[in-house]
Amino acid sequence: MIHEIKQDLLVQYLLNEVDAATAEQIRAELETDAELRDFVRETEDAFASIAHAAPPILPPVGLPERILQLERNVSSIPSTPPRSKIIWLVLPWAIAACLAVGCIVLGLERTRLEKENIQSGQELLALQQKVARVEESLATLQKKNLLAEVTIATLKAQVASYETASAVVVWDKDQKNGVLQLDKLPPPAAGKDYQLWVIDPKIAQPVSAGILAVPNNGLIRASFHPVSPIESAAAFAISVEKAGGAAKPEGQIILVGK
Amino acid sequence: MGAAQTLPSEVAWSRSIQANNEDRKRGRTFGMRPAQESDNEFEAGLINRIAEGDDSAFTALYKRFSGSLYGMAFRMMNDAKEAEDVLQEGFTYIWRKAGTYDPNRSSPFAWAVMITRNKAIDRLRVRQRIEKLRERVTAEESFYQNKDEVSADEPTLRERGAIVRSALQDIPLEQRQALELSFFGGLTHEQIAERLDTPLGTIKARIRRGLLRLRDCLKEGL
Repeated sequence: MIHEIKQDLLVQYLLNEVDAATAEQIRAELETDAELRDFVRETEDAFASIAHAAPPILPPVGLPERILQLERNVSSIPSTPPRSKIIWLVLPWAIAACLAVGCIVLGLERTRLEKENIQSGQELLALQQKVARVEESLATLQKKNLLAEVTIATLKAQVASYETASAVVVWDKDQKNGVLQLDKLPPPAAGKDYQLWVIDPKIAQPVSAGILAVPNNGLIRASFHPVSPIESAAAFAISVEKAGGAAKPEGQIILVGK
Repeated sequence: MGAAQTLPSEVAWSRSIQANNEDRKRGRTFGMRPAQESDNEFEAGLINRIAEGDDSAFTALYKRFSGSLYGMAFRMMNDAKEAEDVLQEGFTYIWRKAGTYDPNRSSPFAWAVMITRNKAIDRLRVRQRIEKLRERVTAEESFYQNKDEVSADEPTLRERGAIVRSALQDIPLEQRQALELSFFGGLTHEQIAERLDTPLGTIKARIRRGLLRLRDCLKEGL
């Protein structure tokens, strides 16, 4: 017994209402299943019999002869039709050929553009990767360059009473400024100040880099720069000067380093 | 109602058909009695000869089938000229494709009907006349009675037509309506469902049940 759903499908197959893949599948089943085959045949007969519901009518006289004559003409078309007919016969084919050639050309052009587009995309990607690598290299070089431009100087005590004090100067040759870190430096005596000096070999006198304000804990971390232009910094020194500082070192040098 | 037009040569043609189809008229495939098997074999033999280019076989098959097929095409197209074109296209196809006919899959008449119907449907779809035909098919409740008068003088065809019409009348109206919309209107299941505002599954069931009942009725009738 064929299931109703299958019967519905077979009816639709008979009426050409299934897609090509389904029709092919059904044809394969019909090859091997006699029950399905009988059902389809009987159902088709039943469906075709509905044609009898329309009463038969005499068709126009001579139709079969006309059909046979036309078929003979089709099978014996003259090989050299009249010139005027040739044009009308050839023209549609010529147009079709032109369109076909146009389609081929456009297709090839499209393929070429697509390839170029892909290549351009790949090249762009490669360039972006290259730029990224260059930027990374540049950053590394800048970092290296920054380190190369920096000098670190440790200042050592010149007086016994300051031996516990420690001072380090990080000097940027390019920017010509620096950072000073001082520790365990006792507060200056009354009326006195500590003053930082930058020593340029090409300038006769050390150049002041400012007064150092010492907090209670004795720890100083401050940036500085010479008060007047210098060419290079060969050494750094801290001296005890009168309050407010001096234009050139006058007091005792307590720390020096280079 | 265009389908009820009188064609002067109907009676003579019907008699011609009767003369050619005396044995075949009792039933083509339903029940497959010996005479029917003989009809089918004879018609299948004609198709084989057509495949070999036999003009006389083509003419013989044309005489056997053309009356019914033209009536069917006329009803579908509602236009004598278009029905003639459909018939011509159908028989041209038969002439060219006779070699593809498989007697294990279809009876000769069913094969010819399906070919002609497909040609008619192609034309209907191209000319977008399905809506008009569908309305006509639905509206024609008295169609069979009207046309029965046309074939009243032809016993053979009247018998066959009467059997089919009787079988159709025996099946429920809704099933008959769905079958007619499918056969003569050329509508798909989905189009019929839309047309009748009925679920697709219901339409499938109506067509299937209608066909099975028609098959059984015809077996009993023949």
